Amino acid sequence: MAKPIPKIGSRKNGRIGSRKHARKIPKGVIHVQASFNNTIVTVTDVRGRVISWSSAGTCGFKGTRRGTPFAAQTAAGNAIRTVANQGMQRAEVMIKGPGLGRDAALRAIRRSGILLNFIRDVTPMPHNGCRSPKKRRV
Amino acid sequence: MAASSSLSHFFSFLLPSKQPPPPPSPPPPQVTITTRHKPTPNSVSLVAQQHDPSSSSSSPSELSSVMCPSLAHANTLFFRSAYNVQVVVDDNEPEERLLNRFRREVMRAGVIQECKRRRFFENKQDQKKRKTREAAKRNKRSRRPPLRSPLQNRQDALPTTKKEEDDDNWDLPEEDGLSA
Repeated sequence: MAKPIPKIGSRKNGRIGSRKHARKIPKGVIHVQASFNNTIVTVTDVRGRVISWSSAGTCGFKGTRRGTPFAAQTAAGNAIRTVANQGMQRAEVMIKGPGLGRDAALRAIRRSGILLNFIRDVTPMPHNGCRSPKKRRV
Repeated sequence: MAASSSLSHFFSFLLPSKQPPPPPSPPPPQVTITTRHKPTPNSVSLVAQQHDPSSSSSSPSELSSVMCPSLAHANTLFFRSAYNVQVVVDDNEPEERLLNRFRREVMRAGVIQECKRRRFFENKQDQKKRKTREAAKRNKRSRRPPLRSPLQNRQDALPTTKKEEDDDNWDLPEEDGLSA
């Protein structure tokens, strides 16, 4: 067989992981997944490739405090700060899940100064699909 | 040979006829088009699609928000991701108003209610209970105005019947006629 083609980002030259992310993205999508126990905020480009993310857990909250709206607020603020440096001006917001972090994250995004195009709710709804887990007897 | 040629003719006949249908496929009635270029900056028309997937939910004026509860089909044709609720944001909208608008739309779509319902499995008994509760709520809301008319009819009927009773003569006949 022929010689294998060397990859551009091969490990032998050292980790080039963060070098590619210097690209300027004027427009992006902010995904907010708000579950009952946590809120995860992910910033991606229009195609869906992740730029940066943050969550209530990574912001230092632990346990039940991760699910609070204040934690969602800090997570959203954190995620947007790293991205605002890259020059993102317009964004779309996609909110998923039923948690308390929905409104709080939205408020934080609005306050951060990023212009918003749409706010969408993309909570996945089965058309009566898989059987849910059994009821909790607490 | 003849059979294969006829088959090829058959397929060639099929192929061009198949091409037109997919591209200009008409959108299903639940789908509404959101336009990015709105003439007025602040107005957003709200469209409800609650329990009527068959009725088309096209808004009267420029349409900017679409709702799709789990009953209706998700809007997969026009955007890459299917969504339940969409709210188009203008730049100068105050934060509270935007949040309220979003919250109201989500409530109308019933997203959070659905999520809570589907968290755990619900057996037939619970499902029936829930359905009757929902039906009671719905009927209570819409049944109030027609209730006034039967009451008014009853009030009109009562005084007329009383008048007939008053006409009855309960007096005893005069005793002068008896003594003779």
